[in-house]
Amino acid sequence: MIDPQLRCVEFVELVTDWMEDALDDRTLSRLEEHLVICPPCGEYVTQLRQSATLLRTLDAEAPPPEARRELLEMFRAQRDA
Amino acid sequence: MGHVVLDAPDSAVLAALRAGDEETFAALVDRYHASMVRVARAYVATKETAEDVVQEAWIGVVQGLSRFEGRSSLKTWMFRIVTNKAMTRGGRDARSVPFSSLGADEPAVDPSCFRDSGRWQGWWVSPDVVGHLPEALLLSKEVRAKIDAVIATLPSSQRVVITLRDIQGMTAHEACDVLGVSEANQRVLLHRARSKVRTALEEYLRDGVGAEA
Repeated sequence: MIDPQLRCVEFVELVTDWMEDALDDRTLSRLEEHLVICPPCGEYVTQLRQSATLLRTLDAEAPPPEARRELLEMFRAQRDA
Repeated sequence: MGHVVLDAPDSAVLAALRAGDEETFAALVDRYHASMVRVARAYVATKETAEDVVQEAWIGVVQGLSRFEGRSSLKTWMFRIVTNKAMTRGGRDARSVPFSSLGADEPAVDPSCFRDSGRWQGWWVSPDVVGHLPEALLLSKEVRAKIDAVIATLPSSQRVVITLRDIQGMTAHEACDVLGVSEANQRVLLHRARSKVRTALEEYLRDGVGAEA
């Protein structure tokens, strides 16, 4: 039996499991076959990767100076107690 | 010393902290504080309470250093302290996060983006429905603020997962360890959160953020 061709509407629901290596072999090959013939779905994957890169930059936020100062004081106080 | 040491094995970081090395502790605060506040924020009602919870969690970290046995990574241990403190506080504020709830089963993409009939039913209505996002705009402060706002609108459990995975950069295993959810549920939450962030990003850039500036 030949599996029916994967459609874009299904692709976008499987893409996270694909990126997380959580697909069974059969679904994996259907998804990768789809990706070869469907440039917009390829672009969709690119967009997801771009948002991941963007999200990673949010991590670079510095703590508020006041909170940081208090925490370092707390660390010294605990250490010297 | 300082930031470099955070790339060292946990045992080296722990030894420095236990020896009272302030630079190592400062590096830890610089690296994790903002993400901890984001995580705590999902459990409590206000940003102020979240800040408060994280201050309390840092005290717990410092006081627990001598007892930490290294069975999990230092990072997951610290974030578990945050979620535990936040849940206690969240309970008091009557706003706990139900991790049993995965959120509504919404489609990743607006169904109107796909053909609804014919030979190509379920395929994109047109190839340019998925536009190319300009790299330069992605790095702008405005776009980052927009995405920050979108994350704040996500259901709490989705917000925590995307924070740990994509903002903080944890592995799936680490995130599950912090939150006590199964890998499968973690993926569902991550999928829903990422889909919404992507949609918001695309809509925002399509509506001509560059043109406004």
